[in-house]
Amino acid sequence: MRKSSLNWVLLVVLLLSLLNLGLGWLMPDVRFTAGGGLGICYVVVRYLVWAGNRRRQKDQRQSTDFARAKPVATVAQRDLADPSDTEGLVEQMMAQGRFPLLLRAQIAETLSRTHFGRALQALEESMGLVPDGEVVLGQIDDALDDGRLDDEEIVAARGRVVRVEPFFVDRYPVTNRQYYEFVADGGYEQMSLWEKTIWPAVLDLVDRTGMPGPRYWREGCFAAGEENHPVVGVSWYEAGAYSRWVGKRLPSDAEWVKVGSWPVTLSATSRSQRKYPWGETMDRKRANLWGSGPEEIVAVDQFAEGVSVGGVYQLIGNVWEWTSGGFHSINHPDSELILPMPMKGIRGGAYDTYFENQATCQFQSGENPLARRHNIGFRCAVGVCDLSLARAPEQEPQQTDAPPDAPAQPDVAAQSDTEPEEVHA
Amino acid sequence: MTKATIQPLESLRLTQYAVPIPCYICETDNTFDSEFCCHCAAPIALAHQVRSQKIQPRMTAVIGASGVGKTVYLGMLMDMLSHQRGPMRVLARGAFSITLQQTTLSALARCEFPQKTPNEPDRWNWVHCQIRKPKQRHPLELMMPDMAGEALLEEVDHPHTYRVVRSFLQKCSGAMLLIDSAKVMEGSRDQDFFAMKLLSYLSELGNTRKDNWSNRPIALIFSKADQCEECVADPEGYARDHAAGLWQYCQERFGCHKFFAAGVAGACVSRESMTEGCMQVPLRIEPHGVIEPFKWLLDEQTAKGK
Repeated sequence: MRKSSLNWVLLVVLLLSLLNLGLGWLMPDVRFTAGGGLGICYVVVRYLVWAGNRRRQKDQRQSTDFARAKPVATVAQRDLADPSDTEGLVEQMMAQGRFPLLLRAQIAETLSRTHFGRALQALEESMGLVPDGEVVLGQIDDALDDGRLDDEEIVAARGRVVRVEPFFVDRYPVTNRQYYEFVADGGYEQMSLWEKTIWPAVLDLVDRTGMPGPRYWREGCFAAGEENHPVVGVSWYEAGAYSRWVGKRLPSDAEWVKVGSWPVTLSATSRSQRKYPWGETMDRKRANLWGSGPEEIVAVDQFAEGVSVGGVYQLIGNVWEWTSGGFHSINHPDSELILPMPMKGIRGGAYDTYFENQATCQFQSGENPLARRHNIGFRCAVGVCDLSLARAPEQEPQQTDAPPDAPAQPDVAAQSDTEPEEVHA
Repeated sequence: MTKATIQPLESLRLTQYAVPIPCYICETDNTFDSEFCCHCAAPIALAHQVRSQKIQPRMTAVIGASGVGKTVYLGMLMDMLSHQRGPMRVLARGAFSITLQQTTLSALARCEFPQKTPNEPDRWNWVHCQIRKPKQRHPLELMMPDMAGEALLEEVDHPHTYRVVRSFLQKCSGAMLLIDSAKVMEGSRDQDFFAMKLLSYLSELGNTRKDNWSNRPIALIFSKADQCEECVADPEGYARDHAAGLWQYCQERFGCHKFFAAGVAGACVSRESMTEGCMQVPLRIEPHGVIEPFKWLLDEQTAKGK
């Protein structure tokens, strides 16, 4: 029954009940009084039910609104170091997580022994080393996927063997807190960090309140309690700009697959490669996927059982991760896909990925590089060849008072994005 | 030496033939060994199930234009509910009820959409399931067919063309109407018009005032919402702004309706096929907003005692 009709019915019942009560009082008759009383009871009960429903709906709406608009986190503002204060600048960069810049050959030799040691320690703690070697990319026929594949079979199944040089990769996806450092440092205004093609769109990369930052932030900051969650709502270009700011880069497709599947070359023509970072079979306790987790993004240090051989966490599940490479239709080998725009590759699956076979090390999906989706984040990598990891014992800083100006404004073109060498295509 | 054999008792068979089985959808009589109703082509297995369990299942329609995503939505809904760890659980009744789930999920796992539902009613997939909810003494029986969009359009334009559609919709206690949000976003008003035609058809179905569709709950679902993030944030507002005719029609004619947004694929591209022309290909499967409309509909139906 419509609400207006119900209101009319209740009003009529109420009037009749009052009339009955009046009649019952005027000419004492218990039937009139009882009828009137019952009618009033009916109206009161209906009103109470209606009021209860309304209150419940209001509470529900309020809780939904509250869930949508979580309070913004309070982050202590960092005092920017004086450019002439080398010590302060180095400390600031260490606190911002930009130690790979300090380990660049031209800067490392200007660092004091203490700072160099601390930068090395930070590198070891936050990044895992992946040795060089070959990795198979592409869809492998299930009939051949017995863990021991030789090159001819792989090529027949449209797979590719790619050689990867040694590199470091973040143990965890980039968190909101880490990305906040980039935003607070004016990363969206430092155009040298951004690809020239994207310059006109950078102004449009704003949060819900119109401030520069990831799409789901408010007032240039993430929601309270989500410091340690992976940053999402960032486009491929934002991921790239952050990577450059921090002195790293996005991992290539081959590198990403190598981190997870950890291939072992058994002989010249045979290698073993994992389907998941922990082995060959899906174990839903090890990854935040649909049906296995809380159905929302969790902190980067959860699901620690899913760690890879190299000590890298959450490669599978929680959030998809941008890679530097383009999206190729390797999951649809028998057809050519018509892409609406050149897409970039994402890997690993997210908390809402439904199928296990779409959350493997091999599976690649694609997305518009400008898309800022709720479940796509990223992690960074850096080539071993790009870092200076050892110093001669007698080597002393050459110019301890010289400010490390290079890391503050890294030249995009100068970044060494070592692409893996493809062996077979 | 004698050999024991089982001989059918002809008199029993004749008795079975003599007692007709009424089709659960159109209520016309059929012989006991018919596979489909001779009048409306609905499976007689439904009638057998109802007769053996002595329970009257509730019927819910999933309707919408051709290609709007009814098969994907229904198959995904059944699979999600049957896997869900939450309070509501679904158990399929009969092997034929699992066929839709199987074909849909197999295709999606291969990053493909399932094939188009054929127009012939005897080739439609029917879902008969049991829903268990907490604080509910008796599980709920539910029937939902995966009807072809073109058949629906044909019936709407030329009533009585598909008897099964009319009979089924008359008996339904609620409906989920799917609208392609991607096409609405493109500015095409076809979805708006088709949805209004369907609603108009529904509103004319009820014979009595009590039976009228204006009192039955209708969930209006913007499908393919992954391609239209605006409608995910506020489906009602999206309908008001982009499908104004439909929104106004619902306000006027249907007292119990609500707008939702649902998506199954995370991203889509197209593929040119030699046989089927340009086809959509999902790049990954990330269901969102699939269960909510169904839950709302069940709650509304329960509240109305249907």
